[in-house]
Amino acid sequence: MNFAPRRWIPLLWLLAVLASGWIAWTTPVVADLTLFAPRADPAAELLLEQLRSGPTTRLILLGLDGGSEADRAAASRRLAERLRPDPAFARVVNGAETLPDADLQALLAQRYWLSPAVAPERFTAGGLRAALQQRLAELQSPLGVFQKRWLAEDPTGELLSLLRLLQGGLREPAKRLGVWFSPDGARALLLVETRASGYDLKAQRAVVAAIRQAFAGAGAATGVSLTLSGPGVLATLSEDRVRAQAEWLSGLSLAAVALLLLAVYGSARTLWLGALPMLSALLAGAAAVGLLFGQLYLITLAFSVTLLGETLDYPTYLFSHRRAGETVEETLRQLWPTLRLCAATTALGCLAMLDSGFPGLGQLGVFTVAGVIAAMATTRWLLPVLVPPHWRPPRPTVVGDWADKLLRPRPRLALAFGGLGVLLLIGLLAKAPPLWENDLAALSPVPRELLRVDQALRGALGAPEVGHLIAITAPDAETALRASESVGAYLERQRQAGMLAGYDGAMRYLPSLATQRQRQAALPEAETLAANLDIALEGLPFKPGLFAPFLDAIAAARAASPLRLEEVGESVLGVRVRSLLSVGARGWTALLPLSGVRDARALAAGLPQPDNARAYYLDLRAETNRLVAEFRAAALWRLAWGSALIVAVVGWGLRAWRPAVAALLPVLLALLFTVATLLALGERLSLFHLVSLLLVLGIGVDYGLFFSRPAADADLRRRTLHALMVCCASALIVFAMLSTSALPALRAIGLTVSLGAAASFIAALIVARPLLNRLD
Amino acid sequence: MKRWLAALLLCGPLAGFGQESLDQVMRLLAAVPAVEGDFREEKHLAALREPLVATGRLYYRAPGFLRKQTLFPQAEDYEADGDWLTVETPAAGRRQFDLNGYPQLRPLVEAIRATQAGDRKTLERFYRLEFEGAPASWSLRLTPLAPEAARYVTAIVLRGQEARIASVETLEAGGDRGVLTLTPR
Repeated sequence: MNFAPRRWIPLLWLLAVLASGWIAWTTPVVADLTLFAPRADPAAELLLEQLRSGPTTRLILLGLDGGSEADRAAASRRLAERLRPDPAFARVVNGAETLPDADLQALLAQRYWLSPAVAPERFTAGGLRAALQQRLAELQSPLGVFQKRWLAEDPTGELLSLLRLLQGGLREPAKRLGVWFSPDGARALLLVETRASGYDLKAQRAVVAAIRQAFAGAGAATGVSLTLSGPGVLATLSEDRVRAQAEWLSGLSLAAVALLLLAVYGSARTLWLGALPMLSALLAGAAAVGLLFGQLYLITLAFSVTLLGETLDYPTYLFSHRRAGETVEETLRQLWPTLRLCAATTALGCLAMLDSGFPGLGQLGVFTVAGVIAAMATTRWLLPVLVPPHWRPPRPTVVGDWADKLLRPRPRLALAFGGLGVLLLIGLLAKAPPLWENDLAALSPVPRELLRVDQALRGALGAPEVGHLIAITAPDAETALRASESVGAYLERQRQAGMLAGYDGAMRYLPSLATQRQRQAALPEAETLAANLDIALEGLPFKPGLFAPFLDAIAAARAASPLRLEEVGESVLGVRVRSLLSVGARGWTALLPLSGVRDARALAAGLPQPDNARAYYLDLRAETNRLVAEFRAAALWRLAWGSALIVAVVGWGLRAWRPAVAALLPVLLALLFTVATLLALGERLSLFHLVSLLLVLGIGVDYGLFFSRPAADADLRRRTLHALMVCCASALIVFAMLSTSALPALRAIGLTVSLGAAASFIAALIVARPLLNRLD
Repeated sequence: MKRWLAALLLCGPLAGFGQESLDQVMRLLAAVPAVEGDFREEKHLAALREPLVATGRLYYRAPGFLRKQTLFPQAEDYEADGDWLTVETPAAGRRQFDLNGYPQLRPLVEAIRATQAGDRKTLERFYRLEFEGAPASWSLRLTPLAPEAARYVTAIVLRGQEARIASVETLEAGGDRGVLTLTPR
């Protein structure tokens, strides 16, 4: 019966590896924050939509350094010229842009519906006279040269107020040689808005490449260098960094583990045998997530590194327990009850995460369950068919007499150890140090120097921070605009009362049809207007008939139909409106970004609820922190459920309470020591720590199970000690290396798991034996 | 090529002569530490039946300060100091602009300020210079180089005697014209 499996098991495995490899390869990796979102929370969904694809996430900030001031200004102009025709960019600005003539003509034609200054009193004889006198004063001034262009068509100056409106929304940086510069003049500045979301990593990568290519063509000769930042750039750069560092560190640590295995077992075969369960776990985990979720979060990918730690242990248990006189299959059969329990505890512990409203937790659960099962199956069924039945590692895996000494139960030490744990717990509870890291920025995998560059560019450009905004949802665009206008009126009152510095919104650029019609109604009939104008012109030096174009324009504006959203097209106005008003799965969403908010709570409390629409006040920072905290609470709750499941499984598997306690108490103590040490080191627990603690739980239960395994003789006990020492050493090597990383995520994982593995080993060694020996 | 050379040979001495007098006038102007004078400005605009007249004071302090204070018909104050332009009008209050950011505005300031400062280098950054006459009585025609400025202003002609600017004539695109005459106090 052994013949058939020897052939079909490797074949089956290879097929499974190829299939999962293909699925994993085609699954996109995403860096967005939806993993934090509890499903069915409209405010949270709006918030995440904003974080994911809101107008501020689509901004890329560019800085040009080096060369002379003239070089930088010239490079800025040429770079902008090269980028503008690219359809990937909605907007490229460097301070030098003049409104395209077509846009200017369009604005001129629509000025009487769009200008907020249009009101009936503006076209009375008195209103017109005031406007004409102002125009005359402008003609007199040195700036009159520039302002007389629209005199005949637009004596009330509506175009000018429209242009002023369009210029607002962004505080303009200082200019030198006609383009934007940092205040000290050392850096020329540009601002680019992409059409793709800042978290569409693939599109952002292409955009960054296009910018670099355009820059190579624009400034290569002058010794000017390019710096770029923005949410999308940071996301792609940090993904690259995380990947590069994770690859480099895991490569290095795998090499170190390989050396360890070689030194311990003296066999190259142990290397590739040891690697097979790990490979299976990674591919199976990624493929399972890909199949069930369609995408892989970066955090899941980071977690896969921690899974390596546990899956490497399974073959190690096999190698160390190989004895002369029994086949590989027989050794495995002896180990199987314990091994099976090891995998079952980890898998079931994570099962608690599966039925969760949080997709992020679900992915972690699926990844672990699939990975652990795959690694275990590989160890149990693939490894024995790949080696000769009597294969053993060439170097003896028996440790010396000191092992017996080490393994001798020391009840007093165990008691003291347990007492120390209790004391630590009491101390932690009493002192209650700040435990959690709620700041999303601390979770960010973005290297600190990139964040500094981002802050410098943002400060110089005055680009809007992702901060406070009001989101309005409505069934159609017109309702959204009308609701925006009523919220805008509220905001204007609050602004005048000093509650906030300013606000923006689509309704500033494109008023609702109702408002446009109201303005249209404010325009007088031709005869009335002509009569009013005649009275207004009395005694003023304007030539007769000069304002005929004005009379025509008003007559045309009265007859035409107002501007609709579908008609704004790709003009400056259109781009601005569409970045603030968009249609999605849940209807239309209008955004009103706020700046300089003094009291968010009061502002939110007074927010009017418009007809047929809903307005939400979003404080992005507070909201994300709340989401992270909620996510963590959910994770902790699931973790508790998982632990309960583990206890049940271990109790059921060992069918006796004392070995179960012997297996579980050490890991409990180890977790306590790990958390206490982390806090003593000044760390605050983030999601990455939490996820790593989950792995520590898995590893620790394994150590406890093996140490408390009923052993037939001293030799077997020594072999178990050998196996556990190799496991612990390899875990320490891998994760101690990760803890040296500069990236917060990798550092957190490395530190937690290396501390946890060491603590689990020591705790299991000291506590498990005495508990069991009382049984003998 | 031959034609080019011939043109160069012909123009060379003439240009050289003009250059020399220009440099001489520039040196004279550069030596003036401060100017204070009354101005009268007349603008002839196509849109108006009669010219617009304004009067006021002009102040200059070497090398970067120029202030045009209009007193009639309404009070207005334009003050350029280095890279900054401060505008004060009864309608809009006090506003400051960085001249570097307004490529169409800066040449207008420099036409008077850099000429009075004898700063030929700055003038040549914004204008093509044509000098006529001798230090005793000269005229300097400035034609804007940048398209942003040329769109509004065809040329600015300054006339003067020795180190004194007597008048500034601005020829605007579209035929409008303004003449500012200066009387020292």
